[in-house]
Amino acid sequence: MLLGATLVVVVVTMAATVAIGRAAGWVAAAGLGALAVAVAMRASEVLEPGSVVSESVPWMPTLDIALRLRLDGLGALFLIIVLGIGALVMAYSARYLSGRDIHRHTGYYAWMLLFAFAMTGLVLADDLVLLFVFWELTTLCSFFLINRSGRKASAPAVRTLLVTAMGGLALLFAVVLIIARTGTTVVSEALASDAWQADGGFTAAVAVLVAIAAMTKSAQFPFHMWLPDAMVAPTPVSAYLHAAAMVKAGIYLLLLFSPALAGTVVWQSILVTTGLITAIMGAVFALRRFDLKEIMAYSTVSQLGFIVAIIGIGTPGALATAALYTLGHALFKAALFMVVGIVDQQAGTRDIRLLRGLARRMPVTFATTLLAGLSMAGIFPLLGFVAKEYLLGGLADPGGPAWLGVALAATGVLAATATFAYTARILLGGFTDYRGTERVDDTLDTHRMPQMVSEASPAFLAPALAPALAGLVLGPAIVWLHPLTGAAGSAAAGEPYTATFALFAGFTLELALSITIIVLGLVVVSQRRRLDRVFERRILSFTAIDVVEKMRTGSIALGARVGDLTRTDGQALHLGVPWILLGIIAAAAIVVAPTAGALIQPDEPWTDAVLFALVAATVIPTVLVRSRLTALVLVGGAGFAVAIWFFALGAIDVGLTQLLVELLTVVALVLILRRLPRRFHRVSRQRTIVTAAIALGAGFAATLATLAFTGRREISAVGQYFLDNVYIDTGGENIVNTILVDYRALDTFGELTVVAVAGIVVMAVLGTRRLIGERDVALAVPETSALARSHDNTMPIRVVAHWTAPVIVVLSLYLLLRGHYEPGGGFISALVGATGFALFYLGASADRLAPVRWPYRGLFASGIIVAVLTGVAGMAVGSFLRPIRFDIPLPWGGEYAFTSALIFDLGVYFAVVAVVIAVLNELGGVRERHGEIVERAKRSTERAREEVSA
Amino acid sequence: MSLALTIGLLMGAGIYLVLQRGMMRIIFGFILLTHAINLLLIASGGVARRDAPFFGGDTSQAADPLPQAFVLTAIVIAFSITVVMATFAAIGRRDDDTEPDSLTPADLGDEGEEVRS
Repeated sequence: MLLGATLVVVVVTMAATVAIGRAAGWVAAAGLGALAVAVAMRASEVLEPGSVVSESVPWMPTLDIALRLRLDGLGALFLIIVLGIGALVMAYSARYLSGRDIHRHTGYYAWMLLFAFAMTGLVLADDLVLLFVFWELTTLCSFFLINRSGRKASAPAVRTLLVTAMGGLALLFAVVLIIARTGTTVVSEALASDAWQADGGFTAAVAVLVAIAAMTKSAQFPFHMWLPDAMVAPTPVSAYLHAAAMVKAGIYLLLLFSPALAGTVVWQSILVTTGLITAIMGAVFALRRFDLKEIMAYSTVSQLGFIVAIIGIGTPGALATAALYTLGHALFKAALFMVVGIVDQQAGTRDIRLLRGLARRMPVTFATTLLAGLSMAGIFPLLGFVAKEYLLGGLADPGGPAWLGVALAATGVLAATATFAYTARILLGGFTDYRGTERVDDTLDTHRMPQMVSEASPAFLAPALAPALAGLVLGPAIVWLHPLTGAAGSAAAGEPYTATFALFAGFTLELALSITIIVLGLVVVSQRRRLDRVFERRILSFTAIDVVEKMRTGSIALGARVGDLTRTDGQALHLGVPWILLGIIAAAAIVVAPTAGALIQPDEPWTDAVLFALVAATVIPTVLVRSRLTALVLVGGAGFAVAIWFFALGAIDVGLTQLLVELLTVVALVLILRRLPRRFHRVSRQRTIVTAAIALGAGFAATLATLAFTGRREISAVGQYFLDNVYIDTGGENIVNTILVDYRALDTFGELTVVAVAGIVVMAVLGTRRLIGERDVALAVPETSALARSHDNTMPIRVVAHWTAPVIVVLSLYLLLRGHYEPGGGFISALVGATGFALFYLGASADRLAPVRWPYRGLFASGIIVAVLTGVAGMAVGSFLRPIRFDIPLPWGGEYAFTSALIFDLGVYFAVVAVVIAVLNELGGVRERHGEIVERAKRSTERAREEVSA
Repeated sequence: MSLALTIGLLMGAGIYLVLQRGMMRIIFGFILLTHAINLLLIASGGVARRDAPFFGGDTSQAADPLPQAFVLTAIVIAFSITVVMATFAAIGRRDDDTEPDSLTPADLGDEGEEVRS
């Protein structure tokens, strides 16, 4: 319901953008705002611990994947953040975007709202697969939003995508593991499974995978680098995705899995360690930057580190604190980012080395920054103060040995002090004369900033001011948040929990820590100029971005190198390597199962040896000769020998087909042979040796494989079935034919389609490319000689064709009719018919005298149509291509057992005849007229000359 | 044994030819390879029984019909492929060469044979 509403907002806003340009942001803001209010109203239903609202729509029922949605306290908190901050950012965008270029804005709003949709889906999803899908959707939205902000953004966008997508893969692994182990795709059921306690290895593996996924999304060390990198995106995008919402997806994931994983040693140690490292590292890096937005980015990294660490502690109180901190951070960081955008727009720069005196010129902006900044630094009485107090309290009480609590709390204090310091850097650097560096050799032009910077308009400021004020109000009014944070805490902890946050809880350890931080922070700020000098030194000679970039370019280079191995048009490499590998496999097989020698049949007929000799006599010379014509004749001979083999093995129909196909192949090849050189290309001796070696190995392997096959003595079960049942099933007696047209008619249907497509390919290719010109026939005879008169010379064959061709065609039809019972059928009869046509062609005295001008295109089509219609008719009696059988009484007594398989065979006949006629006409060059040949030859010589001179 | 040798021979010769230069030899190699594979398919049904598989009468020595049906299909499809390959052989710029001219013209087949003009 809510999801659908979010999608509606996407569509409405896109339409609005087209109509009113950037102001469509208001429409989007209103939409998201209304949804946020709706959630807040609905939230009362789920704030009681343990109560949920859920919906479910089946998606992939067979895999038990459904659009299961579920709203609990945790989801409600995140939804309010996503939708509420979303509404503010949309309103902000309405002023931030430039007034021109509406098309860019359509895409911008679409992606932003799609992102809101994805986040909504993510926090509502109660299905592991759905969760993953929405997770990836947020990654994609982030990629497109970064990528669309100009050319320089594409590299950071790709890096961001790589890092976050890697985390997505980790999540996918985790999801698969969980589904496999717990047997359910429902998140709430899976988390309640007892497999977590029973199987420690499984729990640890999922803990690591989920932690990695969350760490990439929430920019935790060592995956932190993408977040500062992603700052090339427009400021509203950064404010929404990279501060308030998307990076919180990782936090959400951690909280979601907390009921199952909290307390696990792996989980705890990973999260607490990386969280605290990130908190300190981010804060220190923030102190080294000059660009306000970059400082914000590192600040976000650091703050997320705090949240991750506290989630690692894992007690209900700690988890509720994490929820509270998430809310607090979303409020102040969104405000800060929006302020940075405002400063950027009004002053034209975000560099603290250039910004001076803005505190006086832009008082409201400054006040907003101050409010949000102090909340971030954890100053009384803001919301950030409460959150930080409880966070430090949680760190100080990790439930282990006492020294651990001290160490964690000390680290937390250190990071918080650094936070204090960089907050001061933002405030002083951005709004006063402080420049954040002592170096004077900066080449930056300090005069670039206009002298008169004016305050931004109220409409621009309001969205930034609102969350900052909320932080001020919610600090003292922390009690208002108790139901929400309590419910979120109970959902994350998996047990009822009531929040007891208070602005002032007496003189506690936490208060002492806070005071320590403020004192330390003030010392650091007062010593800032000295510290800046320390921080300006580079710690490492490379940055994390360099590492990611190296990995990216490295993997691309590796891919290119792998690709280079086969980057050639020559077929030899592509065809040679597989055979070498197959040969290795065959050799391995022989070693493993050395039984082939035992399979030699002792009782083979002596005629087999003759057949082998026949094949050898044609094949061996084929590989040796260098003349194309000789090779063709020999290949044709080998084909005939193979046909005899088929006859000898009892395959009558196959043998007939082979014989006829061989005939037509030779005819087709002869047609193109006269356009080619007489001899083959020469290749290097080395290549001959290598290819011969490959060929010998393959031949040897094939021989052994055949021996293994021919060792079989019995017929296969399915073969025996055909022998026994063919007449009952089909009424036919020629089993091979009935297999083709009755049992496996769909196969044959596919085959005749392939044949027709081949014919169409030939036509299409020759319709766009001309044939090579014919070679000079070097006849050593004068023009007047009888040998030169082609018309007279072809007389005998024409006479023969004239009388025999019609007989052959009639014979082919007879073969077609009897195919079901005797050798024959569609293929054979069509091939026989085709030889009749070929005879006509052989008798033609010139190319342009095409003896058969049948519309072969139509024949292709009719062949397929006849087959399809037969198939459709078959549906009347059961299924596609099922033969219909009935007896037709004959006038002279008896009856003819008709079957629609015969009609199907007729379709085969048409298609095969058509392809043969097409080949004879197309390859024979009937299309060309003599004038064109001359014309084309001239042109091609000219082209060749041009190429030579170029 | 003879059938196995035949298949091995056809296979070796076919592979040798498809690894050479020029479309025509590749086509010849392809044809020989299809022969080898088709015979191998038939062999997979066993070669001890060699009567034609027709219904009726004594079928105790009838060959397995299923591989035969496969091979029949395969032959016709191989013919279609051969025809398409032949078409590509016939549309080159000068001949059916399949590799760039790294060799000198003297290495090519017919020296001095020119396109008719």
